[in-house]
Amino acid sequence: MSVFESRRLGRMAPAAAVIIYGLLGAWTLAVIFPIYWLVVTSIKVRLDVTGGPFYLPFIDFTPSGHAWHYIFYDLGNDTFRPYYNSIIVACFSTLVVMIIGTGASYALARLSFKPRLFSVVLFIFSVIGALLMVAAAGLDWRIAVAVALAIFALLAWALRRVPSPTLANADILFWLISQRIFPPVVAAIPIYVMFQRIGLLDTHAGLILAYVTVNLPIVIWLMYDFFVSIPRDLDESAELDGASKFRVFWDIVLPLARPGLVATSLLVFIFAWNEYLLALFLSTANAQTIPILVSAQNGTRGPEWEYMSVLILIMILPVIVLTLLLQRFIAKGLLLGAVKG
Amino acid sequence: MTVTLDKVAKSFGATRVLHELDLAAEPGEFVVLLGASGSGKTTALRMIAGLETTSSGTITIAGRDVTNVLPKNRDVAMVFQSYALYPHKTVAENIGYPLMIRGLPRAERDKQIKDVADQVELGPYLDRYPRQLSGGQRQRVALARAMVRRPAVFLMDEPLSNLDAKLRGHMRAELKHMQHGLGITTIYVTHDQVEAMTLAHRVALLEGGKLQQLAAPKEIYNDPANLFVARFIGSPPMNLLHGRLDAGTFLLGDRRIGTASHGTSADAVLGVRPEDCRVTEPATGTLMAEVYATELIGDHTLVTAKLSADMLTLKAGKDFDAPVGTSLGIAIAPERTYLFDGPTGLRLR
Repeated sequence: MSVFESRRLGRMAPAAAVIIYGLLGAWTLAVIFPIYWLVVTSIKVRLDVTGGPFYLPFIDFTPSGHAWHYIFYDLGNDTFRPYYNSIIVACFSTLVVMIIGTGASYALARLSFKPRLFSVVLFIFSVIGALLMVAAAGLDWRIAVAVALAIFALLAWALRRVPSPTLANADILFWLISQRIFPPVVAAIPIYVMFQRIGLLDTHAGLILAYVTVNLPIVIWLMYDFFVSIPRDLDESAELDGASKFRVFWDIVLPLARPGLVATSLLVFIFAWNEYLLALFLSTANAQTIPILVSAQNGTRGPEWEYMSVLILIMILPVIVLTLLLQRFIAKGLLLGAVKG
Repeated sequence: MTVTLDKVAKSFGATRVLHELDLAAEPGEFVVLLGASGSGKTTALRMIAGLETTSSGTITIAGRDVTNVLPKNRDVAMVFQSYALYPHKTVAENIGYPLMIRGLPRAERDKQIKDVADQVELGPYLDRYPRQLSGGQRQRVALARAMVRRPAVFLMDEPLSNLDAKLRGHMRAELKHMQHGLGITTIYVTHDQVEAMTLAHRVALLEGGKLQQLAAPKEIYNDPANLFVARFIGSPPMNLLHGRLDAGTFLLGDRRIGTASHGTSADAVLGVRPEDCRVTEPATGTLMAEVYATELIGDHTLVTAKLSADMLTLKAGKDFDAPVGTSLGIAIAPERTYLFDGPTGLRLR
């Protein structure tokens, strides 16, 4: 018994300690090893990469800086441009999606929406109408969208008395999350065609727009939970103290949702930073991001692991730094003392 | 400032939570909205605050129609049951938030924060965060935040209900003293009749979304408008005996009790408060009963006596003691009884 159960309060039994620390240690190794393997691969020459497995530099093999030299000097700008592209696209798409997403989720958490099912159906028909106008009638897409929107607004207003079931916030939230049920690749080709038409292919703006679209449901879904957990009393109290709706959001709600904001931004930043598939479709040269460059090392001469390792190392570095910097903000218990005693 | 509610009503969908409510609070008056949960008292308060829209009726504050005015433009301050302190702000920042929004210069703000904090004895805690305070201190921060702006009206939603009994008694006295000193019209919601009786200039008793009686505590205790008020106010509650009223005489089985009324009713209720009943010899009492239970409270003994059909509670001296089943007589002062109509609950005079 006493091997598994400590006799003293607050102490771990010996067997329990061995098992727990053993498991933690094993997991740590499993997590750390791939990174270690990247580091040693990046300082191997081709022969040592394919000849291996060699684990320890200086003992198993002689380290060489040739891969680092190749990536930073020989490739030079071909490395730095995708890196710069990745930073621009990841940062701005995160910024934009967080601004839109927090606004939307706060609205969903605090206001109650009652869209009429009839109007929703009407809207879907308007979209189909716009598509027909472009495809069949060969109308300019801008005119088609404007016409369809105008018809929708007019009909929705004219038929506002038509009895119809109404939807609620839960339906809107589910619809938003359902956008993530199918993988983004489903939409890749339509997006490609659309971007081609409106000239967004191979631009930062195009990639940012695509990532914002893909990440928005995640942000709304996560932030909704954070906003709902903030007592409404705080909003109302601030309102009575004289704050406008915007100030309530800015002064009271946002600071309290900070752990959620930080965690969510980190998540969508990492998504945008690592994203491969949409980038492959939507960027060719100018807006190419780092993941595309990494896969490009799998060239005609077969996978060039040492170059890939260098690229992957410099690719994961900012994410690691960012996580370390931000983790202290992802603290819990911030709401303690808001209400009750 | 005066606060008036003129036929203010509220419905959520088909549910009527507040029937047309008329209420007028005079400048400096302390009005308590008293009622059980679901009586509509909190809804009424939230409508005065502007946190809830009215379905119909008019609300005016200081003569201005504020029915459709935003909460922030009503010049009211509210203390929430949960206190609603901003957890990421210090005590000083919490108290100063209304002033900051109004754009008061920093120096002036700090001075006012200090003044108010001293009034509620929070001076040493200004740099703390709400989570570092006790329940009573948090409560005082909420009060200070409401006081600092000198609003036209104080609104309080069960501000003492999260405190323990001892602290609640203390804060009740503090609150009363403070309100008297500031002279600011206060509307206070509670389900606790002791709070209502001790704090209020006037009590508005609500039930089922309807105002039952609006009167001074003494009047609401001594002159209840109907059966509900009689039952709600008083601890232990008023005794209610079910019988018949025949030309001003109340008939309870074979017993006859003279009343001040001259009415007749086949289904009447006679109310008498526990302190208006006396234990006598079985032969001389108005009513015959036997002891069901006795409880020594301290300065008096609470005796529950069993009549033929009803139970009756009365207050006896602290030395009274009798075993269960003892026969006793109960003397009732006829001028201290209340008569109600059984089916409608209305007072019969």
